Amino acid sequence: MKGDKSKAVVGVFTYMDDLINAIKKVKDKSLDYRVYSPVPNHELEDVVYPQKSPVRFVTATGAVMGLCAGFALAILTSMDWPLRTSAKAINSIPAFVVVGYEWTILWGGLATLGALFFFCKIPSMFSAIGYDPRFSHDKFGLVVGCSGDTTGEVKELMISSGADEVEVRDGL
Amino acid sequence: MAEEKKVDYALVNRLVLKMLEPPTFGWYVLLGICLLSVGIGAFCWSRQILYGIGASGKSHPAMWGFYITTFVFWVGIAHSGTLISAVLYLYRAKFRMPIYRLAEAMTVFAVLTAGLFPVIHLGRPWFFYWLMPYPNQMALWPNFRSPLLWDVFAVSTYLTISATFFIVGLIPDIAVARDAAKTKFRKILYSICSLGWRGSYTQWKHYTSAYLLFAAFATPLVVSVHSVVSWDFAVSIVPGWHATIFPPYFVAGAIFSGVAMVITLIIPLRKVYGLEALVTEKHFDAMSKLILVTSGVVGYSYLTEFYSAWWSNNPFERYQFWFRPFGHYAWAFWIMFTCNVILPLLLWIKPLRTHIGFLFVLSIFINIGMWFERFNIILQSLSRDFLPAQWGGYNISWTDYGILFGSFGWFGMWMVIFIKFFPSVAITEIKEILPAPKRHGGGEDH
Repeated sequence: MKGDKSKAVVGVFTYMDDLINAIKKVKDKSLDYRVYSPVPNHELEDVVYPQKSPVRFVTATGAVMGLCAGFALAILTSMDWPLRTSAKAINSIPAFVVVGYEWTILWGGLATLGALFFFCKIPSMFSAIGYDPRFSHDKFGLVVGCSGDTTGEVKELMISSGADEVEVRDGL
Repeated sequence: MAEEKKVDYALVNRLVLKMLEPPTFGWYVLLGICLLSVGIGAFCWSRQILYGIGASGKSHPAMWGFYITTFVFWVGIAHSGTLISAVLYLYRAKFRMPIYRLAEAMTVFAVLTAGLFPVIHLGRPWFFYWLMPYPNQMALWPNFRSPLLWDVFAVSTYLTISATFFIVGLIPDIAVARDAAKTKFRKILYSICSLGWRGSYTQWKHYTSAYLLFAAFATPLVVSVHSVVSWDFAVSIVPGWHATIFPPYFVAGAIFSGVAMVITLIIPLRKVYGLEALVTEKHFDAMSKLILVTSGVVGYSYLTEFYSAWWSNNPFERYQFWFRPFGHYAWAFWIMFTCNVILPLLLWIKPLRTHIGFLFVLSIFINIGMWFERFNIILQSLSRDFLPAQWGGYNISWTDYGILFGSFGWFGMWMVIFIKFFPSVAITEIKEILPAPKRHGGGEDH
């Protein structure tokens, strides 16, 4: 998918099956592309991004760290300020489970948020090349990076797949 | 789903974005009423700060009174938002789609409201931060064996995760609003709040994965938060509190009251903004069934408490459960029992499960009943402790009423502002359950 991507051919699709056909053709030609969709969809996912998202690894790491931190906070601070009540042990592990449990969720959740931002590249102040406001409403978008010489071929590919509109813009 | 066949992506956009059109006179009136009640609540609280905690009805031995009752009530209201958004998401229950955004907003704003009450309850509210574990010059730490501290962790985690879940769910919908914004102010507001979301497929892939994980994390929170709140009571030895049934009883009660509040909020919204195509009778039928089930659990818990008290042969427990239906606050018990156990039984009648007017009235009765449930647990138990010599009561003052009234205004204010500025029905997720538009072969229903 390397090479000259000085031009971006933007296709607007109404129908998902047309879009999927176009994506398959673009993949066959080993061109670089982006897909915009108003909704997530499993069929589209199978074609565009069949791998599993790495977000879950970050989540698991955050959750384990939260569990350790929760118990560590309760244990270490209890040892620092020993307050014996009702003949209970200074380090009452069952009582500390609540803190460990809540921090597992808290840290896991915040790690997930961080991973989401990182992998989705948000917040982003830059406009995406080829993006059209209709892609958040009811249309699907396919943006293909190619050289100036091959724009005609890519346009033809999209039109033959059923694109409603095709236009050429500067680089992907 | 027959109703969904008539709905397409464009109609979903149109119906939901219509709610974001410039505010009407009625909206300003509603906001004004909310602000007025917030003002009344703030005045009462400032008076309490000025004159001391005695301005409320607290008197020995009922030192937990109106404020903790209201705290538990609002935490309960907050509960079903996460149930509807997270638990039902994991179960792929489609009926959650049109209602979950409002339920999540309700969760976040109800926790914001609930969080005020432990602070209002304090004699010196400016020291509220002493509950936080932070290194300080006194070289001491809070007691991690106390359920009150567990509450700090549980409620703050719940607020953080619920707010995160809520905001993450909003991002793609705010992007829709951004792309349709007609005024410069809204364009800037939504551009900032959508964080540059474009809906590229790479983004969707990570988004759906993260959303599933948020749901998986939020689900145990549904169980843990109100269980922890119940331990504020159950871990003590006060008659009427010291019961192992409290965690499931509190969780079921919270879901019960939360679903009722969702119905209270969604019915006027549906009517005013013409959302009948999105929020259909099937959704009300599903919510009614949820109310019926949780009402059954709550009713069973009430009866189990009486049975446990009798079976324990403990005179203090037995007296407490005689005092509740026949003592000084018997009226509160019977309001609770009628609203939470008897009236919901009407939902066994199928036509009433989809009768909008009936559901609206019933949901208000349930909200009242659930507030009284907490009133009974907290106040009745504290009023009749072990020693008759220290029995007492709670002298409800107008400061209590004012702050309670103010809390509804505070909650309402956030809801009214949210509904006008952000999509209160989930655009993307409703689109997800519609058949994907296809030239050949109709479409796949996800």
